[in-house]
Amino acid sequence: MKRLTLTAMTIGLGLLFMPPDTATAQSKAPPGGAYKEVSTLVPLPDFIPGLGTLYVDPTTLPAGPFLAYDHQGNLVSSIYMIPLKDMNAHKGFGALKVAQERADHVDIIFNAGHPGVAEPHYHMIVWYISPQRASQLAK
Amino acid sequence: MGRSRREFLRAGGLALAGLAFAPSRTLRWAPTLEVIEMRSDALGSRVWFDPLGLHVEPGTTIRWVVRENVHTTTAYHPRNDHHSLRIPERSTPWDSGYLVRPGAHFDVTLIEPGVYDYYCAPHEAAGMVGRIVVGKPLGPGSKPFDYWVGKPGTRDWRHVPDAARAAFPTVQRILAERRVRPAPSRMQDEN
Repeated sequence: MKRLTLTAMTIGLGLLFMPPDTATAQSKAPPGGAYKEVSTLVPLPDFIPGLGTLYVDPTTLPAGPFLAYDHQGNLVSSIYMIPLKDMNAHKGFGALKVAQERADHVDIIFNAGHPGVAEPHYHMIVWYISPQRASQLAK
Repeated sequence: MGRSRREFLRAGGLALAGLAFAPSRTLRWAPTLEVIEMRSDALGSRVWFDPLGLHVEPGTTIRWVVRENVHTTTAYHPRNDHHSLRIPERSTPWDSGYLVRPGAHFDVTLIEPGVYDYYCAPHEAAGMVGRIVVGKPLGPGSKPFDYWVGKPGTRDWRHVPDAARAAFPTVQRILAERRVRPAPSRMQDEN
């Protein structure tokens, strides 16, 4: 009985100090950890029409992922930003992180550049919401 | 960062530049204001200045206004991140910094005659550049892009990217048309 109690306490303490489940931690803004709100790092609006409010771990730039949230703070996508010069140089990007969510669809869109990734690049957007809901992020 | 910023380039004198903002009824001559829009499609795939070429008289104030996306207007000048000199030697270079909100604008009054080339910092590599001819087409901006190669003091100057070279309208076309708008293909999907 004493051993059982000790075991239970050990498991309880273990759960207490486990890092929060990645999916739960990132499904709502802010994602925490090393992620910073992009608008606090470079001159960009807090909410970017078509994408949402972006967070990124600065050490992962430029590829990301950038985690995007809607106006209600719900995770809507992970975005990877791959410069054309890296693609032309056939550079690989391995082991990029993902949010633990079920993907709905993926957009791959050319972007002419913006603060933070000031060169032509591609946005590879893993959406966790439908195209219809994604279109509502335009405003 | 302010939503509206203003600078003057010296040439005829700051007092002359200041006349542009005095009450108009007190003026016998008032420089004109020209607006250049800073544009983008909804996806940020296409970006452009409109017009991208402009011929104006000395003393004209240029106002760049953001319509979509995030932009800068930045003169080609070594003081701006080692870009090559492509504005008149006696002129002061400008850099608006990032203009983030739609409607944000930045003013420069151009007095010294010559060619003024400028770019958008996050979009130069994508070819978002513009050219203004003030009076006569004089100065470094009227020369070939690589005129400075091999000259003393230019070792850290940056070459104009290929996409930007291709986007500049020629001086001759600007003089002929006064306002040069981007090709329709560049403005495709315009908002």
